[in-house]
Amino acid sequence: MNCLEFRRRLNIDPQAGGEFAQHRAECARCAEAFARASGFEKSLRSALDIPTPANLAESILFAQATQERISRRRFPRHTAWFSAAAAAVLAVGVGVYVQAKPLPEAAVDHLNKEAFILAKTQPITDESIRKAFAEFGVTINKIPAGSSFVACCPVGKYVAVHLVVPESDGPVTVLYLVDDQHERRQDFIREGWQGRSVPLAHGTLVLLGHDAAHFDELESSWTAAIQAATFKA
Amino acid sequence: MTTDRSYPANGKQRQFDALVRSLSGDLFRYAYWLCGDEALAHDLTQETFLRAWRALDDLRETAAAKAWLITILRREHARLYERKTPQFADIDEVDVPEERDAQLPEFAGEEGLIRSAMLKLDHKYREPLLMQVLGGFSCDEIARELNITPAAVMTQVFRARQKLKAILAPDRPHGDVVELS
Repeated sequence: MNCLEFRRRLNIDPQAGGEFAQHRAECARCAEAFARASGFEKSLRSALDIPTPANLAESILFAQATQERISRRRFPRHTAWFSAAAAAVLAVGVGVYVQAKPLPEAAVDHLNKEAFILAKTQPITDESIRKAFAEFGVTINKIPAGSSFVACCPVGKYVAVHLVVPESDGPVTVLYLVDDQHERRQDFIREGWQGRSVPLAHGTLVLLGHDAAHFDELESSWTAAIQAATFKA
Repeated sequence: MTTDRSYPANGKQRQFDALVRSLSGDLFRYAYWLCGDEALAHDLTQETFLRAWRALDDLRETAAAKAWLITILRREHARLYERKTPQFADIDEVDVPEERDAQLPEFAGEEGLIRSAMLKLDHKYREPLLMQVLGGFSCDEIARELNITPAAVMTQVFRARQKLKAILAPDRPHGDVVELS
């Protein structure tokens, strides 16, 4: 490779190896040109490396989980038949029954895996909360104050709006399972977490924290907000 | 943020999770530089992965995953423009990208100047350069993806760099071949 070819190649593929790298090692002037070009390439790479939105991967996985859930709901007979068949095969074949985790366990599992979110204390906007509910077709107008985090999350076999509310006795996690209504209200304790699940509108409100002192207040404010919300049919 | 995925815990789902976690950032960046709009890039990335989920059985080689996703993303982007109908707005309400971008922190400083310059590049120059710099693809791979010859790819990435440098420093000559003396 001669100098002319090297300079042309420098603007085409500055990372090339082979003859290109060999010429660079042998020619001081081309090595200088390469150093200048490398500075530009580094700046270019860095400029193109724009920050990605927070929770990008989670929002994609959430959309996929929601889509799967909708398609399962759209074909309930098939799903039920296949599920029953699969469960029977599994039970006969390996002698075990596969059960989804109950809500308290699924909620605590989810919380334990996202413990770092509890450290968030900066208030978030009402708009971000509205947007999260809107993902489920819920239009919520009156937003209880004080949340420091919101996201749409798969929680075990459920999908939920996940919020964190920093309180004086420690953060409280608020989950709203939009279309999974559990039959009864219950208080529970799992792995050191105090919890409460409350059937609410078409779904279930779940509260989790190390201290339940603020549960009544949060239940009341979120019940009012969700009862006043509109649900897309 | 991590996910609790006790459902449906099968191989396909695990493969998809890994794909999303490892490549969603790269795909988003690619989408952003393709369309120049963050919200649209987010939607394009999500739609790409949703299509990828439905066609995941077609993916045979792990090493080909990024190129496969970029192919889907490019098709999604093209579809977007096929669907797009002309919209008319009052001239006072138009959000001019250059003016809008100039006010954003990501368009400040040296990197900001390069970002603005990238968005000014014609698509035929911008895309092969993106595939090379962001995607790490060779000229032959880019040629296959863009359905052009490797020689055309070389010409386009050469010109893309020259044009970028000309936008960034319009008063300086940018034909490196003249520096040989």
